[in-house]
Amino acid sequence: MDKVYLGVDVGSISINFVLINEDKQLLFQSYMKGMGDPVQTVQNALRELSVFMADFPEKKISGVCTTGSGRELIGLFLGADLVKNEISAHARSAVYLYPEVQTIIEIGGQDSKVAILRDGMVVDFAMNLVCAAGTGSFLESQARRLNMSIEDFGCIAMESENPAAIAGRCTVFAESDMVHKQQIGIPQKDIIMGLCIALARNYVGNVCRGKEFRSPCLFQGGVSANLGMRKAFETILGYPVIVPEYNMVMGAYGAAILAMEAHPEETQFRGYEVRDLDIRSGGFTCQDCSNQCNIMGIWNGDRILKCSGGRCEKWRNTVFPVDKQ
Amino acid sequence: MVHRHEKLAIPNLGNYTIALDSAVRSIGIEPWSSTATSSRAMELGIAAAPESLCLPFKAHLGHFIEADDAGCEHALMVNSVGTCRLTHYRRLIEDILKDMGRKIRVWGLGYDGIKPPLIRYFDPAPIPFIKAVLLALEKIKIIDVMEIAAWKTRSRELRRGDTSILVKDCLAVLADTNTCRKVKKLKAEFLSKFETIPQNHNLIPLKVGMIGEVSVLRDRRLNQNAEEILGNLGVEVRNFFLLGAELDNIFGIPIGKNKAHTRKQLARIARPYLQNSVGGHALDSVAHTILCSQAGYDGMVHLCPAGCMPEVSIRPILAALSRDLGIPVLELSFDEHTSSVGTVTRLEAFTDILLQRRKKVKNG
Repeated sequence: MDKVYLGVDVGSISINFVLINEDKQLLFQSYMKGMGDPVQTVQNALRELSVFMADFPEKKISGVCTTGSGRELIGLFLGADLVKNEISAHARSAVYLYPEVQTIIEIGGQDSKVAILRDGMVVDFAMNLVCAAGTGSFLESQARRLNMSIEDFGCIAMESENPAAIAGRCTVFAESDMVHKQQIGIPQKDIIMGLCIALARNYVGNVCRGKEFRSPCLFQGGVSANLGMRKAFETILGYPVIVPEYNMVMGAYGAAILAMEAHPEETQFRGYEVRDLDIRSGGFTCQDCSNQCNIMGIWNGDRILKCSGGRCEKWRNTVFPVDKQ
Repeated sequence: MVHRHEKLAIPNLGNYTIALDSAVRSIGIEPWSSTATSSRAMELGIAAAPESLCLPFKAHLGHFIEADDAGCEHALMVNSVGTCRLTHYRRLIEDILKDMGRKIRVWGLGYDGIKPPLIRYFDPAPIPFIKAVLLALEKIKIIDVMEIAAWKTRSRELRRGDTSILVKDCLAVLADTNTCRKVKKLKAEFLSKFETIPQNHNLIPLKVGMIGEVSVLRDRRLNQNAEEILGNLGVEVRNFFLLGAELDNIFGIPIGKNKAHTRKQLARIARPYLQNSVGGHALDSVAHTILCSQAGYDGMVHLCPAGCMPEVSIRPILAALSRDLGIPVLELSFDEHTSSVGTVTRLEAFTDILLQRRKKVKNG
C-alpha cells in the first residue's frame, strides 16, 4: 500500500485539490471555480479524484489537510486531519520547492497576502484589509468588461510599450479611470498594462506597507498566471520574480505536505462517499442572547452537519453524523 | 432619592459590566446592560455615527440607542479629560442622540470633580452608596482573578471550550451574588473550579501579550473574540486590561492583588521610544511591549480600532520595538468592515510563526 496525502485549498473563487506521495511529488492536481457553492464544488473535485484513484488501487489517502477561507467547513465535511491557515500552507510548499525563498507574493480571488521568510521560516506577513483592489476577481471583472478571456488579458498587457497611468487604490476609481483613458484614445494594451502596474504598486505600497521585499521572491496564487501582473511586479521590484510550476495550487500543495508531516496514525478522511450526499447551506439568527449571532450551517436533509459564525460554544461542536466508510 | 424609578444604561465594560450593574441596582436604580455590544447595537451605531469615527464610538452610540429603545432615561459612559478624542465623545453622543429626537441623557463617569453631576442628580444616601461602591470593587477583584485563571487554563485545557463555559457559568453566579461577604467567598470557589478542568499541566504554552485600545481589549464583540481564539489555539494570553489594576493605577487604592504599573513607571519604561503624551492607552501599549519582551513573552497582539488616534500613532513605534527587541508584534485593526475570517487567519498564522520561532531557539 502506498500512502498518499490530500491537500485541499478552499479559496473564495477556486477550490484546488493536490495529491502527493511520500516523496512529496505531486500526483494529481485539480483547479475548479467555486461558483459560490464550495460543498458542491468539493464534491465534483472528489468525483474527479476518485476517477483518478481508480487506476491506482494500491494508493490510499492517509492524511487530509484543508486550507483557505473555507477550511473549517470543508475540513469538517471531508474529515480533515489538519485544518491550516493559508499563509502557513503557501509558505510550506514554497519553502519545499525553493528553500532559499525570502518573499512570497500570493494573490488569489479575494485576498492578497505577503509572507516574509528568513532561513525558511515565516517571520512576518500581511493581508489586505478591506479593499479587494488587485485581487483576482477584480482583474476578471475587468477582462469581462473588455470582453476578453482572463488569459488574453495578461498576454495583451505584455504587448504594451507605454503603459498608461491608472489610479489603482480602489477598484471603483480604477475602473472609471480606465474608462476615461479609453475615451481619450489610449490603446487597450497600454490601459491593461497600466492597470497591472497600478495594482502591483497598490499591493507593494498599501497591502504590504513597510515590508522588505527581498529576492528570491515567489509569486503564486491564481493571479500569478497573469503575465501582465508578473511583468508589473518585476518592473516595480526591480528583480525577476519566480512563478513556481504549480503556481495555481501552491496552497493545496502546501496543505498536502502539512498533512503528511502531521503523521496522522489513522486518517479521519470520510472517503469518496461524501461526494454523493445531498448538501445545502443556509443561515439563521440565533436569538438566545443579546449577541444575536448570524449562524451559517450546512444541512444534509434536515440534519445540521456544521455550524459556524457563533460567538459562543453553542453552535460550534455540532457532530457530523455520517458514518465513516 | 427622587429618581429611584428611572432606568440607567450601564456602559459596556465587557465582563466588568456585571460589577457596575449590581452596584447601581443595590442603590435602587434599575440598570440596563449587556457584557458585549449586540449586533443590533452595532448596526444602529454604524447607521447613526459619522463614518470616519472609531469603532468604540459607534459601539457606544449604538448601545445607548438600544438603551433608549429599551426605555432607559439615563445612560452612563466613561469619559476622560485626556488627549484623545474620547474627551469629546460624551458631548458628541448626546448631540447625535438629541438630533435623532431621543430623550436619553448621557452622563460622564470620569474626572468631573468630587461629586460628579450624576451623583448629584440621583443623590443616593451615603451608606448605601458606599456599600454599592465596595460591592462593585469586590466584584471587579473577582473578575480580575477569574480572567487571569481563564487565560491560563484555556491554553492548557484538554477539551476545547471547557474554560469558556466555566467563565460563563461563574459570571452568572457572580451576577446573582449581591453581598460583599458572599462575593468574597466566591473567589476560592471559582479558583477551585478552574483547577478541576482537565488540563495538560506539563505544557508550556506560547505567551502572548494583548495590548491596545481598552474598548477593543475588553469587548469581545469588537475584537471578534481574539482572546478566546488565541486561547483555543493553545496560547496563554495576557490581556493588559484588568479593571481592578487599572483603577488601582488611577486612584492609587490597591484593588485586589494584581498590581498594575503606575503611569509614571510606564512613562519611564517607554521613554526611549515615546516621550510625548499621545492619549488613550498608547503609553501602556508601548511600555508593556518592552516589559513583555523582558519577561520572555513570545509575541504581542496589538488591537487597534481603525482611526484610533493614540493607537495608530504608536504603530511605527511598535514596529521599531519589534525590530529592536526581536519580539513579533501582530497588528490587528478593527472597524465594522473587518472580516472575522481574516482575524482568525491572522491569529493562526501568527501562532504558527511563534511556534516556529520557539522551535528554532530550542534547536539552537
